[in-house]
Amino acid sequence: MVELLCTENLCRSFGGVMATNRVCFSVDNQGLTSIIGPNGAGKTTFINIVTGKIGASSGKIFFKGKEITNKPTHELVKMGICRTFQINSIFENLSVFENLRIARQAKDGGSLRIFSSKQSLKTVTEKTWDLVERLGLKDLAARPAKNLAYGDQRVLEVAIAMAGDPEILFLDEPTAGMSPTETRQISKLIKGLANEICVVLVEHDMDLVMSISDRITVLQYGCTIAEGTPEEIRNNEQVREAYLGKEE
Amino acid sequence: MNNTTTIPGIQKGYYPLKILIIILLLLGLGLFPFISGNRFYISLITEMMIYGLLAMSLDVLLGYTGALSFMHNAYLGISAYVVGLFLIHISPTSLWLACFTGIIFTSLVALPVGWVQVRTGGLAFALLTLAFGMMFHTIVWKWYGVTGGDDGLMGMPNPDISLFGWNLGNTGNPVTIYLFTLIIVTICFFLTRRIINSPFGAVLEAIRENEDRASFVGINVRMYKLLGWMLACILASIAGALFILYKGYIGPSTMSAFAGAGVLMMVLLGGLGSLWGAFVGAAMFIYIQDYISTMSEHWEIYLGLVVIFLVLFLPTGFVGLGEHLKRFRKG
Repeated sequence: MVELLCTENLCRSFGGVMATNRVCFSVDNQGLTSIIGPNGAGKTTFINIVTGKIGASSGKIFFKGKEITNKPTHELVKMGICRTFQINSIFENLSVFENLRIARQAKDGGSLRIFSSKQSLKTVTEKTWDLVERLGLKDLAARPAKNLAYGDQRVLEVAIAMAGDPEILFLDEPTAGMSPTETRQISKLIKGLANEICVVLVEHDMDLVMSISDRITVLQYGCTIAEGTPEEIRNNEQVREAYLGKEE
Repeated sequence: MNNTTTIPGIQKGYYPLKILIIILLLLGLGLFPFISGNRFYISLITEMMIYGLLAMSLDVLLGYTGALSFMHNAYLGISAYVVGLFLIHISPTSLWLACFTGIIFTSLVALPVGWVQVRTGGLAFALLTLAFGMMFHTIVWKWYGVTGGDDGLMGMPNPDISLFGWNLGNTGNPVTIYLFTLIIVTICFFLTRRIINSPFGAVLEAIRENEDRASFVGINVRMYKLLGWMLACILASIAGALFILYKGYIGPSTMSAFAGAGVLMMVLLGGLGSLWGAFVGAAMFIYIQDYISTMSEHWEIYLGLVVIFLVLFLPTGFVGLGEHLKRFRKG
């Protein structure tokens, strides 16, 4: 069987530092895979390479068996690879609805229509409403995104990525800076998503990672040091060392 | 209520007051030369409309795409020179063909320039516009044989404006060129408004808001920035064609960096991202320039003071004035 996405010996160096070092990673059509590791382990760099934000120094990335290494971001998104950012990246002065509508429009096409109105893209509008209702953002739909509470902006961040109907969704610390209640809310959302598509989660909140992940990959100094189910990772000696240091 | 096809923030239906104001404004402008007959003001308003169109084209770029062009007047200038040269050397009566040639030629120049510029963002983009603009300025300034150099383009014929064999008058007549400018600028304004409110316009706005995110929802940022740039340059080239027909002359100073800063000031005076604000800004700028220059040779100093005042106390320009007053009244 062909994996949905896999990388072969993916490397990226900054100056002399190997931020990502020979990472081989693969995920299937569904489920939740988490990437964890100490600070500076290269988690975000890895996502940046796979989603086309930065180039790979060497190695290959395959999506559904097709090579996608160093393709431009917008092409990857059209293929179904979407992501969110650690620091909110939303269209601040646009309404919540427009934030999602533009993502939907980019996916469905019609952006080159210069003389028709936005309303003329009926399916785009309808699908956007579906998403808005599904995420309970209806009351906020007309508000400028910058006026939202931080937690809601975080939800919007995920929602924008969802609007593009991804097959694989990379979430870069979606709960960063959120309250426990908000974290619960978003973890429910992520879990629901993982039943439909492949979700790759980068997260520091260990309780969250251990409770919702199907599989976990651990990175340290840019290398994969362990891979397995939450149970296996919990009992892995190397992982403990990475986080807590070696016992003398 | 079935609201699955409505978009929040966009109200459907018509606004009688808004339409009434637009009709009155256009009617007033259209009748002005017949009521007033003051040739000085007719010509001043013509200039305001032409620069308004240029400022609006810069607003499309800056206010909607978020890309700053320091010397957008360069594209007005290129078009004006080409239209002028066409009328002088090729055919003194083919007005439409000349304008068409000017717009096409300007687009052909703007395309590779834009192609280079969209590969950068932010300040680098702005500096490139300055570099290209100064290059174009130097070319027209130094190329005596073709452009007349310092003296400018002389000997422009005044072609008749005819449409489908119907003669509308001569461009040498200030009233004719006034009405011609009014019609063309009005058409350009409404077309641009339409484009800005289209799905294409929504993409430009998304790029302005967040280039990075735009590419991560699947937008080919470079391509759309280039399209936005081309739209802005084509509008500027239309303004250029009107400019040479109205003035019958163009010199290199119209394409200078100083004049380019003036266009930028017009947009900022009026306020970004509204299109009509650009016209208000252009009208204010040209009026101030004209009014103060009758009293002092150093009108730039006073204009500078006005701009500094506006930037400090009314950063959103004339467009933001209403919002400002509302807040002021509330305390």
